Amino acid sequence: MTAIEVKSLNKTFKTHKKEVGLKGSFKGLFHRETLYKEAVKSVSFSLEEGELVGFLGPNGAGKTTLLKMLSGILYPTSGQAQVLGFTPWERNRDYQRQFAIVMGQKNQLWWDLPPSESFLLNRDIYGVNHKTFRQTLDEMIELLDLKELLDIPVRQLSLGQRMKCELVASLLHQPRVLFLDEPTIGLDVISQEKIRSFIKEYNQNKKTTVLLTSHYMQDVEQLCKRVLVINHGGIVYDGSLSSLSNRYIDHKVIKVRFAETQSPTAPSNMKGIVEWDEHHAVLKIQKKEVAQVTHKLLGDFPIEDLSVEEVEVEEVIRRIFEESPREK
Amino acid sequence: MQKTLWRYFALYRSFFSHNLKNEMIYRANFVINIGLDIFFTLVNVIFFAILYGNIETVGGWTFHQTLIIVGSVGIIRELAYLTFRKGFLELGEYVRTGNFDVMLTAPMNTAAHLAFRHVSLTESLGEGLMGLILVGYGFAHLDAATWISIPFYLLMLINSLVMYYGFCLMVSSLVFWLIKSQELNTMIYYFMNTARYPRDIYHGLGKVFFTFLIPSSLIATTPATILTGKVDADLIALSVLVAIGLLTLGLFTWTKSLNHYGSASS
Repeated sequence: MTAIEVKSLNKTFKTHKKEVGLKGSFKGLFHRETLYKEAVKSVSFSLEEGELVGFLGPNGAGKTTLLKMLSGILYPTSGQAQVLGFTPWERNRDYQRQFAIVMGQKNQLWWDLPPSESFLLNRDIYGVNHKTFRQTLDEMIELLDLKELLDIPVRQLSLGQRMKCELVASLLHQPRVLFLDEPTIGLDVISQEKIRSFIKEYNQNKKTTVLLTSHYMQDVEQLCKRVLVINHGGIVYDGSLSSLSNRYIDHKVIKVRFAETQSPTAPSNMKGIVEWDEHHAVLKIQKKEVAQVTHKLLGDFPIEDLSVEEVEVEEVIRRIFEESPREK
Repeated sequence: MQKTLWRYFALYRSFFSHNLKNEMIYRANFVINIGLDIFFTLVNVIFFAILYGNIETVGGWTFHQTLIIVGSVGIIRELAYLTFRKGFLELGEYVRTGNFDVMLTAPMNTAAHLAFRHVSLTESLGEGLMGLILVGYGFAHLDAATWISIPFYLLMLINSLVMYYGFCLMVSSLVFWLIKSQELNTMIYYFMNTARYPRDIYHGLGKVFFTFLIPSSLIATTPATILTGKVDADLIALSVLVAIGLLTLGLFTWTKSLNHYGSASS
């Protein structure tokens, strides 16, 4: 079943240009030049129920704007979207009871109260019955290891701890669709890992449809089979991560450590040399030539260690972002 | 309909208890609030006591009758804090930081969410209690006082609360365009401050202004007329009409503003 269906969605923001300095501010009081920024440009995609899909893009690419439209916070300029059969920006209560959005940079917990109080309030707002609430909460406390945090005021929690609690607060009503806007932003490596594994497990157990944005590569790499790469408001790639590398990258990297000291000058009959010194060498080789070059290396030099590596996905993404034409 | 009403009643209770827990964390703040409230109410009473030391009546209102107006303002303020007022004070901050987004995704009415999120028992409690004392004191010193007027007085207080709410909704809708709300809230505060003068001191254009544009001449005077035996059917009808009108207008501008937020925020 299709959970999310987006058809040629557009969002244009109207802003006013302000000239630099006090004089500019003063001028702005009387005459302002209006600027239009196309944050989302004819985006179309669809998600099956239970899918976990990553939105990948640099800052300002339009990821958050898209999620906000799908949550009904923003109206689109044009286009259509259906989530669970609802048009999000109609803000239907039945829709609101079935989805959740977690924004890594916003806070919905009561600052001075322990998180358990915010959980109780959300139970009432979403009309979750007490027994289900208890079960869901216990489950998540177990998964996220929250037991000790429940009675500490939110303001005294670390960012990572707070993020876990934000997640719990948003999942108490067991949403069928979950939007995560940079859930790991600003967290240390361990907290990131914990949140990631939680999202993965939650998605597998509950069959919740998850749409996640991040500019941390690891988030998407570990969680999502399918990625939507978005840049300058448009989707530039929709597919699996592995075929993303195949499509954009046609080479592999060969790394070599020599058993004996070599001449520091690179031999002229080897191609694709990136680095070369007395002890190491790094070569960038077309995929179809890898076997041949490896064979030649092993034959010509005393090799202690040799590895053939895929180009990192991060590198792939960087390429895509750099390739897409930047617009004025 | 009835089910919805019960749901919102239960929600109010839940929010109220959360807010109370929140307020009790800052005990010093709580004590200072009450102290300040009592102090400023006393300053008001002293002002009127001095005024009435020199003249018998102001616009036909005696000292004890005026105390009922001043007291009513305090009661209405406390009732407003118990239901909606503080949410409007925080609205600018919500819009500026974008935390307002959360209110748009929760499955409850956005205006009710904003109001309930900050219901406060203690913010204006001192003024409310002083108000009760003043109204009681003034009422006890009136010859025309009849017990039967009390339920009607309460009804008109609720009417004034509706009027106040409509006015706040209307003015606060501007926040979505201006983003900053400090000036708007100051304006509403002064509006409530002028409510403690009897309506009868206004004439001509001033009267029209403080009736339809800013209904401060009705908000406390109308309930007070009932306790003081100055009952005037026309005035009551006017108050009810203004309350309905402001509420309708307020809800209209509020809805328009939410749509504006939806298309303008990023």
